[in-house]
Amino acid sequence: MVAPALELRNVVRRFGSVVAVNDVSLSVARGEFLTLLGPSGSGKTSTLRLIGGFEDLNSGAILIDGQRIDHLPAYQRDTATIFQSGALFPHKTVAENVAYGLRMRKVAPPDMERRIAEALDVVRLRGFEQRYPAQLSGGQKQRVALARSLAVRPAILLFDEPLSALDLSLRLQLRAEIKRLHDELRFTAIYVTHDQGEAMAMSSRVAVMNSGRIEQVDAPEKIFHAPASEFVYTFIGESCCLPVEVGPSGVADKSGALLPLHLGQSQPTGKSRLYVRPSRFRLAAEAAALPNRLRARVHFIEFLGDVYRYHLKAGALELAADHPGAIGVKAGEEIDVGWRNEDMSVFR
Amino acid sequence: MTAVASESEATFAAQRQAELRRRALAPWILMLPALLIVVIFFGLPMLLMARMSFNLHIDQRLYVPGFTFEHYVNLFSNPLFTNAIWTTVQLSVLASLATVFIGYVFAMLVWLKPPRWRLLMIGLALCPLLISEIAIIFGWWMFFPKNGLLSFALLSSGLISDKISLMYTEFAAFIGLIYVTLPFCFFILLSIFDGLDKRLLEASADLGASPVTTFREVLLPLTWTGILVAFSQSFIWTIGTYATPSALGPDTLWTMGFLIQEQMLGKHNWPMASAFAAVLVIGVACVMAITRSMQSKRTAFHA
Repeated sequence: MVAPALELRNVVRRFGSVVAVNDVSLSVARGEFLTLLGPSGSGKTSTLRLIGGFEDLNSGAILIDGQRIDHLPAYQRDTATIFQSGALFPHKTVAENVAYGLRMRKVAPPDMERRIAEALDVVRLRGFEQRYPAQLSGGQKQRVALARSLAVRPAILLFDEPLSALDLSLRLQLRAEIKRLHDELRFTAIYVTHDQGEAMAMSSRVAVMNSGRIEQVDAPEKIFHAPASEFVYTFIGESCCLPVEVGPSGVADKSGALLPLHLGQSQPTGKSRLYVRPSRFRLAAEAAALPNRLRARVHFIEFLGDVYRYHLKAGALELAADHPGAIGVKAGEEIDVGWRNEDMSVFR
Repeated sequence: MTAVASESEATFAAQRQAELRRRALAPWILMLPALLIVVIFFGLPMLLMARMSFNLHIDQRLYVPGFTFEHYVNLFSNPLFTNAIWTTVQLSVLASLATVFIGYVFAMLVWLKPPRWRLLMIGLALCPLLISEIAIIFGWWMFFPKNGLLSFALLSSGLISDKISLMYTEFAAFIGLIYVTLPFCFFILLSIFDGLDKRLLEASADLGASPVTTFREVLLPLTWTGILVAFSQSFIWTIGTYATPSALGPDTLWTMGFLIQEQMLGKHNWPMASAFAAVLVIGVACVMAITRSMQSKRTAFHA
């Protein structure tokens, strides 16, 4: 059996009384692109810094290729980090920046020349060798940072929100470029981000983190379509929450009015939260044949570009439903809204 | 038609000329207040001093206009004066090097440590600036003598068996000079450190550089300018200062500041004192020029 490229075993990191990383275990195969996704303060960056050696863990173990590395200082670990700020050496040229890691690894000069050229080729920055970081744009800086890390051919590449300081179009462009590089070079990468779009688009697997713990590790499609917890469901994509009460006679809203919903047999009684994504609601005639249907009053309508968002009120429930085109209803009028059983998730 | 057009063109050109003149004048007018202060309070006294240094010194009279190089010749031929120059340069170079070293370590620690220590450390560094140089000297008088604090501390810690006095030694003068210039050094270096991204240290370690290599490759080049600036300010201060080395050093410690005072007030030889002061000013200017030329030529990365 081949040892995983990276393995975390029950890793714990505390800052004073705060547990930043709480018993995290994770196994990453060679060539995998794993994203740590979570809101700020969820422990994703701390986890990355533990792997890179910039923080010491309180307990647990970190292994690269089956070897424990958590006792090694950062400079003896075979990892390379792309920082959010780029952290390029401002007093060194692009070529000197890329050469830095190679010099530290005592690569012979002719080899070094070739590897610098290769790395700059890969990020399409040939011809920029003699520039200083201050003479580069934000996107170019991050590409140099990427080249600098790629050049040393580390066992694991660590990305610490490398795109979050860039503007949107550049972010999308570099995102595609990193994805292309991963497809070409098949490096093992841990990528930290709070942007679910980035996580979905780039990763082979996504680990969703919340208050120091991993809530779910799965392929992006699984994360999106089969979230393991309420947190994952609400963090990934938009969702519409319907607070309900499951009683012996059926499902009721908080005012006690019974709702014609089909939650399945095994729902325990008591308060529950029922979620549907706005894009999964069907309106008016399209809702007619669906098993879950409510009569709702249109509260107001927003135009979001691709879709119109109908904010609806059905008794005590508030819903937001997306529809690609305008349907001839105005605020204050009544409309049917419905959804399929499989588009509904229930958490309690 | 054409005549009118060329006429309006001509007035346009004239207006443009006037506008350009106004624009060229604007910075000078804006600088005028500061320029006046510099000229009146620094430029003129310097010129007067330079003029004075060529005056004659007859019968202990203060002011005898004339022109002679006698004082400059005397300055560089009399061993009393050349020794003083050498002693002062030595003392202030050593004191400045020590100050820069201590200030560098102190500033680096403040930069690296978590912010909650920062205010305390900066407050400590500010303390010497709140006390006048004379009051600080009185403080040293309670610290260095045989029955002073230092002697007491060393004795009670068992490091020495008999009371010692470090008062009126070159060491005391050396320590006194460091103490006076350290705060300035510290703040210059701290401002340089604060301009650096701490992630650079992590990036360096991440690429395989040991802490020593990271210091040599990243920290030192990026703080080099600060080191030179801190050194020059420390050197300028220590080479010209009079009170601290005179009050703490031995009677035989004749610094340039001491001799200028002696020539001026003791010997009533104002031209000699002026010549000495002129040499001091030129020497300091040379040191500044040298440290400036040692600053990185590659200023592009500061953009």
